[in-house]
Amino acid sequence: MRAIGQFFKNLMTNKAMLFMVLPGTLWFLLFSYLPMFGTIIAFKEYRFSRDGFWASIVNSKWVGLQNFKFLFSTNDAYIITRNTVLYNFVFIILGLVLSVALAIVLSEIVNKKLAKVYQTGMFLPYFLSWVIVGYFAFSFLSMDKGMLNQILGWFGMEPVQWYSEAKYWPIFLTLISLWKSVGYNSVVYLAAIMGIDKSLYEAAMIDGANKWQQIKAITLPMLKPLMTILTLLAIGKIFYADFGLFYQVPRDSGTLYSVTNVIDTYVYRGLKTTGEIGMSTAAGLYQSVVGFILVMVSNYIVRKYDKENALF
Amino acid sequence: MFKSKSKMKDFHQLSSGWNVVFNLIAGIFSFLCVFPFLFVMIISFTDEGALARNGYQIWPEKWSLEAYKYVFQTGDTLLRSYGVTIFVTVVGTLISLFIISLYAYAISRKGFRYRNFFAFFAFFTMLFNGGLVPTYIVATQLLHLKDSIWALILPLALNAFYIMILRTFYSTSVPDAIIESGKIDGASEFKIFYKLVLPLSLPGLATIGLFSTLGYWNDWFNALLYIDDPNLVPLQSMLMRIETSMQFILQNSQNSSLSMTALQSMPQDTSRMAMVVLATGPIILAYPFFQRYFIQGLTIGAVKE
Amino acid sequence: MSKSKKKWLMPLTLLLSASMLLSACGGNKEESAGNGGGTAEKPVELIWYTIGTPQKDVDKVEAEINKYTAEKIGVTVDMKMIDFGDYNQKMQVMAASGEPMDILFTSSWAFDYVQNARKGAFMELDDLIETHGQGIKDAIDPAFLEGSKVDGHNYAIPANKELPAQEAWRFNKNLLDKYNLDISNVKSMESLEPLLKTIKENEPNVVPLAISKDFGPLLPFDYIIEKMPMAVYLDDKDDLKVVNFLEMPETMETLKLMNKFYKAGYISPEAATTTSTQDLMTSGNWFADRAATQPFADNLWSQSYGYPVVSTPAGDANIFNWSVMGSMQAISANSKYPEKAMDFLNLLNTDVYLRNLVDSGIEGVHYKKLSENVMENLPESKNYDMPTFALGNVMLTYLNPEDPENKWEEFKKFNESGKPAPLLGFNFDPSKVSTELAAVNNVKEEFWAPLMTGTVNPEEFLPKANQKLKAAGLDKIIAEAQSQIDAWKASK
Repeated sequence: MRAIGQFFKNLMTNKAMLFMVLPGTLWFLLFSYLPMFGTIIAFKEYRFSRDGFWASIVNSKWVGLQNFKFLFSTNDAYIITRNTVLYNFVFIILGLVLSVALAIVLSEIVNKKLAKVYQTGMFLPYFLSWVIVGYFAFSFLSMDKGMLNQILGWFGMEPVQWYSEAKYWPIFLTLISLWKSVGYNSVVYLAAIMGIDKSLYEAAMIDGANKWQQIKAITLPMLKPLMTILTLLAIGKIFYADFGLFYQVPRDSGTLYSVTNVIDTYVYRGLKTTGEIGMSTAAGLYQSVVGFILVMVSNYIVRKYDKENALF
Repeated sequence: MFKSKSKMKDFHQLSSGWNVVFNLIAGIFSFLCVFPFLFVMIISFTDEGALARNGYQIWPEKWSLEAYKYVFQTGDTLLRSYGVTIFVTVVGTLISLFIISLYAYAISRKGFRYRNFFAFFAFFTMLFNGGLVPTYIVATQLLHLKDSIWALILPLALNAFYIMILRTFYSTSVPDAIIESGKIDGASEFKIFYKLVLPLSLPGLATIGLFSTLGYWNDWFNALLYIDDPNLVPLQSMLMRIETSMQFILQNSQNSSLSMTALQSMPQDTSRMAMVVLATGPIILAYPFFQRYFIQGLTIGAVKE
Repeated sequence: MSKSKKKWLMPLTLLLSASMLLSACGGNKEESAGNGGGTAEKPVELIWYTIGTPQKDVDKVEAEINKYTAEKIGVTVDMKMIDFGDYNQKMQVMAASGEPMDILFTSSWAFDYVQNARKGAFMELDDLIETHGQGIKDAIDPAFLEGSKVDGHNYAIPANKELPAQEAWRFNKNLLDKYNLDISNVKSMESLEPLLKTIKENEPNVVPLAISKDFGPLLPFDYIIEKMPMAVYLDDKDDLKVVNFLEMPETMETLKLMNKFYKAGYISPEAATTTSTQDLMTSGNWFADRAATQPFADNLWSQSYGYPVVSTPAGDANIFNWSVMGSMQAISANSKYPEKAMDFLNLLNTDVYLRNLVDSGIEGVHYKKLSENVMENLPESKNYDMPTFALGNVMLTYLNPEDPENKWEEFKKFNESGKPAPLLGFNFDPSKVSTELAAVNNVKEEFWAPLMTGTVNPEEFLPKANQKLKAAGLDKIIAEAQSQIDAWKASK
């Protein structure tokens, strides 16, 4: 009884905050938590029933973990997991370093008008769909008309069949991925830099700190919470790959699969003919669970050293 | 006061040598980002025949306005799509800023007893979702959003990722002391949030506002799922539909009737590029609106006064 | 943000969310108005999903259709067009979630007919055809209804159109004339070689054989699933032995020839990643390619490219499962008015007025009639340009002025000339081997385009591919397919 009384008392003291989270909570319940029941499909052989979705779920046969099997059944399982994780790892690290560096560069440029122009430009890749990015990559890498081969030609080198040489693609894909995302991601850091109390810099200058010392002693530490959070969140997505980057950009070239096949493309190709939604749901669940475990572990580590910056 | 401030500013400035280097870095990268887009524009003004003969060229053999004529021949359809996209983007961004800023603020407050619970509650949705079909059922059968403009707005209104970012902004750029001082003055929690916290976190809000604007502008998937009514189709969705339909037809060319029907109606390369230009152009103009909150920045002292 | 803006921001959002909640709560549940019925005064409305780029004037034409059908069979339709690229995904989600619909387009290539019939998306139509679809049985070639049965039942009404599939070599006639080349003896790939050689030597800017990554040389097999390694020989009508066709000698020979073409420069070096040869068609910088044909296809091609194109058969006209199921209309399993839906399909496949209204729009607005069965598009037709083949009986549609008078007779002859493929009427049920199929599919995608376009040496890569396919579980799929085929054979 007393515990319940205490609970209501707590609710009352936190009432303003609870009101603030109310709209968001409702949204999460409706658009995120309610549909999560559908995850049961991952353990079913889904068949339609004329009485709607729930009837379909109830009437479909339980198949246990059968729907997950295709993710682990062959040697490809190792390749796609390796590719997905390694690429994401590289993207996270390089993305972090470059975005922060770029944000600092932009914030320091003296002529603010120019800085604005640069920054606007960096946003444009975000608007190009992967299909179109794929066209451009092709106009650079095409065998006979591509610019890269023309440049090689000037130096008297033989043209290269870029779309069948797997060894170059990890670099291409990394460059393209960074090119598309760094401008967008640096905005967060730029905004954070703008939020830093200027008096900190003034104090540092009075102490005689030069620019680099200021960046090291003030800017970076102030950005640390944001860097930590964004990295933690990115770790949660480490089993998800950007389908367009790995499918459209290499033009789905079979000879490149050893370095371009990732979990998402594997699932897409594998289910193209059967279209079992049980299996695609299973794949998604697998990606989520692994990501979840990784985030919980990394969050635990962050908490241990720096409680303030942990996710929760 | 004024004098010392301007002097400080000079101190704070980058030395001119580094300034040049920084300009070069940012300038070159920015050029690399703009270049493909310029290329898209050039292709959209290229003659179809010249494009087929020579491939993509920076200076085409022959210029042409055909692509735009082709796109504009749909006339009011295009205009209506602009209308839908703009409405969805503006209203959607306002709604999501409203919900997100409140939620993130609450879980950023150390005094909020359930902050960890609600942080986790939001975070969990980033990783787990019910998949397409269950989400579709909730939206159509429970909320009756099918063929409604809200189907383009509500599903994107909230995003745990934005909440986490904004929470970090609050906790780094809003000092506890300010909130305490508001409490001492007897202000309500909402008033503190509204009067003291929001003005301090404008760069953060602008970031989230920008992300959400771009998210709405670029979204095509919700329209694919929920919209059958051609009058409610947003711009990006139109563009995407053309892209995917073309790829689909090419993949199924073994079907003779399909390939023969499609032969005549397939849009050309140049008109697709023209669509990209038309679909991206306006949002670039909206960008400076947000930008002033990043570049100018705010001095905390100014707000204190 | 200025202060005055902030003031209205909050109330505005509140207002908007309130109005949204209201609109969500109200405005539903207007159905349940009793079923059956459907008279001219109180027609029932059928929701009809069909494939194709959404057209501006659909509503206008729909009103005309409804006037006619309400009067005639007590039905109105709500026609919803979904573009080609979106159709699969959208229909999958809608069918899985039990979205209300009555009639929907299905086929072997979009919203897969066999699979979805098995998963229970469609209503079984055997009785309905007898009771409400007699006209259909008379109007369309019986081979269609027979060939589109799944496990012995009909789940959709096929469109009466070309029945077999036939591949043809197409040629850019300008180049044929320029070098005085004769195509009357061309049929096999070998016979094409001397022509390609001439072009390669004389026209450096022309691609002699234009192919894309989806190309597959013609091989004598009937595939259990399109573009998958499991197949039976086309002439193996009795044993129906399932083989991995990539292990067969014919495949090796043909792919060697492709590789030879590739090395000789007859094929674009980028063929294995090229999705479309459209650029070549537009510029005319090609000499030959292969395409699916039908009667009078040459006219169509020449018209749309703007220069003469001629063709000669590259293989026989075979009736495959997928060619029979090229365009169909099914009744959704959750339809409330299946009889009325069948009435409508019956009318669509037998009634000349309705069929042409659906296809070409309103007479005098979208087209004008030149004679009894010939029509000409008016400028307004750009607002109502439908994919004719996807909307029921094609042979009821009016001819265009360019079409030969005997167009449909030729189609009928073409249909009669088709030879049934050995697996016609057999539909593989992949549910027991879906794990293996997913793995095999991935291996296949890896090797398919490089091998089929001749980009790689088959002597090195075919064994590699076969080894990987085996590891992925191809043998299990073949065994499963064989046992299903044996059971099917026994039941015939």
